[in-house]
Amino acid sequence: MKTAAELLPGTLDLIVLRTLVRGPMHGYGIAQRVKEISKDVLHVGESSLYPALQRLLLDGYVKAEWGASENNRRARFYTLTAAGRRQLASEREEFERIVGAIHAVLRFA
Amino acid sequence: MRLLRRIAHWARARVHRDDLEGELAFHREMVERDLIARGMSPHAARLAARRAMGNETVSREDARSVWVWWWLDALRQDAAYTVRSLRASPGFTLAVVLTLALGLGANAAMFAVVDRVLFRAPPHLIDPDATHRVYLYRTSEGIEAERSGQYARYADLARWTSSFSQVAAVREQQLPVGTGDATRELPIGIVTASLFGFFDAPPALGRYFSAAEDTPPAGASVAVLSDAAWKAQYGGRRDVIGSTFVIGASRYTIIGVAPAGFVGLWPERPPAAFIPMSAYGPTTGTNLWWSSYGHAIGLSMIVRVKPGVSTAAATADLTTALRRSYQNQIDVELPHAGLTLGSLRPRAVVASILSERGPEASSFARVALWLSGVALIVLFIACANVANLLLARTLERRREIAVRLALGVGRARLTGQLILEGVALAALGGVAGVLSAAGTSSAMQRLFLPGDVAPRVLTDPRTALFALGITLAVGVAAGIGPALSVGHQNLTADLKAGAREGTYQHSRLRGMLLLVQAALSVVLLIGAGLFVRSLRHVQQVPLGFDAKPVLVVDLDMRGVALDSAHLVALHQRLLAAALGTPGVEHATLMKTVPFEGIMSWPLFVAGIDSVDRLGEFDLNAVSPDYFATIGTRILRGRGVEPSDGPHAAPVMVVGAAMARALWPNENPIGRCVRIWSVTAPCTTVVGEAEDVRTHSLGDETGYYYYYLPVAQTAPDYIGLFVRARDAQRTIGAIERRLQAQMPGPSYVTVRPLLDVVSDQMRAWTVGADAFTALGGLALGMAALGLYSVIAYGVAQRRHELGVRVALGAQTADIARLVVGESVRFAGTGLGIGACVSVAATHWLAPLLFHESPRDPVVFGVAGLVLIAAAIAASWIPARRAARVDPTSAIRSG
Repeated sequence: MKTAAELLPGTLDLIVLRTLVRGPMHGYGIAQRVKEISKDVLHVGESSLYPALQRLLLDGYVKAEWGASENNRRARFYTLTAAGRRQLASEREEFERIVGAIHAVLRFA
Repeated sequence: MRLLRRIAHWARARVHRDDLEGELAFHREMVERDLIARGMSPHAARLAARRAMGNETVSREDARSVWVWWWLDALRQDAAYTVRSLRASPGFTLAVVLTLALGLGANAAMFAVVDRVLFRAPPHLIDPDATHRVYLYRTSEGIEAERSGQYARYADLARWTSSFSQVAAVREQQLPVGTGDATRELPIGIVTASLFGFFDAPPALGRYFSAAEDTPPAGASVAVLSDAAWKAQYGGRRDVIGSTFVIGASRYTIIGVAPAGFVGLWPERPPAAFIPMSAYGPTTGTNLWWSSYGHAIGLSMIVRVKPGVSTAAATADLTTALRRSYQNQIDVELPHAGLTLGSLRPRAVVASILSERGPEASSFARVALWLSGVALIVLFIACANVANLLLARTLERRREIAVRLALGVGRARLTGQLILEGVALAALGGVAGVLSAAGTSSAMQRLFLPGDVAPRVLTDPRTALFALGITLAVGVAAGIGPALSVGHQNLTADLKAGAREGTYQHSRLRGMLLLVQAALSVVLLIGAGLFVRSLRHVQQVPLGFDAKPVLVVDLDMRGVALDSAHLVALHQRLLAAALGTPGVEHATLMKTVPFEGIMSWPLFVAGIDSVDRLGEFDLNAVSPDYFATIGTRILRGRGVEPSDGPHAAPVMVVGAAMARALWPNENPIGRCVRIWSVTAPCTTVVGEAEDVRTHSLGDETGYYYYYLPVAQTAPDYIGLFVRARDAQRTIGAIERRLQAQMPGPSYVTVRPLLDVVSDQMRAWTVGADAFTALGGLALGMAALGLYSVIAYGVAQRRHELGVRVALGAQTADIARLVVGESVRFAGTGLGIGACVSVAATHWLAPLLFHESPRDPVVFGVAGLVLIAAAIAASWIPARRAARVDPTSAIRSG
């Protein structure tokens, strides 16, 4: 079995923000979702996920609220704020610019 | 924005921690559930989930560290560590906190006094730096003296100067307020209407009086109440405006109430009310109060200098106006007195608005400054002491500190923690000190400012700020010694060193601190000794009368006008009433009280060109019982007798010094003295009395005293002396009996003559009390410091001492070793302190009374006290050292 890939540095915030675009989610949900969508390639560990969420809270890109989970447990849901959306857009653009550049280099260099 | 969120997070740290924990627990639960869903047993799932989650504490800390600055956290940890370590040694903490509390408390209390007396402008005053008090001088017979207080002079200066944007005349006086039994003497601000313009203090109610209401010769009888009086006496009622009350002999209408905190220029004795200068003027005895240069009503002039005008220019302008005013006075009032501006040399000075500062600091201000210096020395000693104790502690903790350094604590962090420890101790000491200062400030006030409002310590922002500042400074100063010693700590040596190799080493810094303490205590002890001796000398000055059993009765006629015959009758009734009071032995009428007021009439004696040139001849007018009442002895001839009535031949009793001055080596009895004019009938000297002190307790020469029968003088300015077996307790009874005789609103006040004398001794009493208290404090601290150092040394040298005992040292040898070290310290400190004291005598000498500032007795006693303290401080450690059990001491090493 192939082990889960490490995230590229600096992309965790971007991934978390993008995950939240579909609606409020709790931490575990975010981790699961990333795993599912990436078909088990990307793993977000708790030890990096929660500090990242705190960072986003501090920057005001997400809001956190306690609510009931799908199995009726108390869970903390994170919601994207307007600032978060703006940040996502600009980070995404930046990311794609760099990825495009890397692609170009890999292809033609 | 981020900062705000950070702060909000910090404020709600607990909630956030719970959030994070709940969140992580939920996560783990979900992982567990997934694993179970995949077919794992619940138990195995729980373990697997734990493993998958990794170190939860680390995750939590990582998440938390996003929010909290690491250094803030470190500070919190250090603080917690400090609290724990201080709590672990309560004895040490208590000693340090007490030491600092005494030092800081003394300084906070002194600051409150000095600040108010010398530095703080009256509240609400606009631009205090441009506001000044004016002092006027003129020279008479070659001696320059301050001479001011006339309204006419004030009006001239106001008219003829151009440097000032505002001028006002002020005076504060105790005046009887109210009528009948409710009469109280209260401080009243007597001010020109212009004074209110100096302040930014609109009236709380009604209005201030206007210039139109304050115009000579007679202003309107209107009054502005102070906020305190309004609340205390009128319950803060708004309808107080328009009501009337009696001040002095007149009825005043209340037109306004000053705002809270407005005290005019008198924060130390806030006036109950303010009345117009020109309403008060006519009550001083003449309608010419405002136009006559000869009539002083005790006013002071206040000015505000125009912007851009220097103090020197203002002084010059004022002096020019003063010269013009004197010229006018000479031209108008004294054309034939032979006075010239050249001999009068009028001079004006603009000085601080604070009267204690004046053109030169008052003696009281000087003593207060001295004592602040002394209090600062005490604080310095306290600081040295605490630094010493902390240093001792640091040395004790060498191994602990070495271990912490070895484990990777940064030196900076450790230094910070040690300084924090110092600051924490200082903060505790500061709190205790300020609390104690609040307690002692009323005592300080009694000592320094009798009759004043006590300075506030706790509620005053300036004093609180000062206390905070010195507390921090002391904390850092005390903590920095130990912190520095961390810098050059040899890690490996300290870690390797067992108790045997001894972390005992003479610390040069500690030794120096100890010497400084000892030396400073010696200086203070010598100061205390000098003041105590001065006070003793002052108390032994022969007064020529008995102060203790005598009461002074003042009469205030308060506008009640009686003709001479009725006055004489009233005085006789009062005399009889006083004598009829149980416990009263003698009573007499009199006109002057020693040290308080003088009466001087021109005298003419055959064969002497100018009696005046010999000095000042002051008189008292007395009734027959005077000498028995006040206890002045008659040396020759007789005293005043009942037969010396208004129609009998005029007689006088002269003081011994006066007799010597007028008729050297001759018998004064039977001599003729003419009073008022050279053609007046003879007043025959019938007796000679012992000399009395009337002006000061110091050496007075050129003052002479004589007595006339009161029946042979005009019946004005009369008071009584009453001699009672228990004077203090008879005051009330006498006051009641005499008051019953007084007509209309007139009234009597009774007070001990001792108060008058004590006032004269105040400077030395204050000096002796304060120096003794502070000197004792310093000595106690130095002894404590010495004790801690010696005791620490003994503890560290247990092993060495054990070896000595094992080799045959006797108990006495060991004790001598320990006590000797202590005494050596004290002896060196003594030497340094004595040198400093000798060097400082130059400044101290003017404050002493008949006392050499190098009095060998004082130096000797101070030295003995310090050596005794050194022996006492080392006694317990010495005994402990002598009891060292060699076997256990050597083995435990």
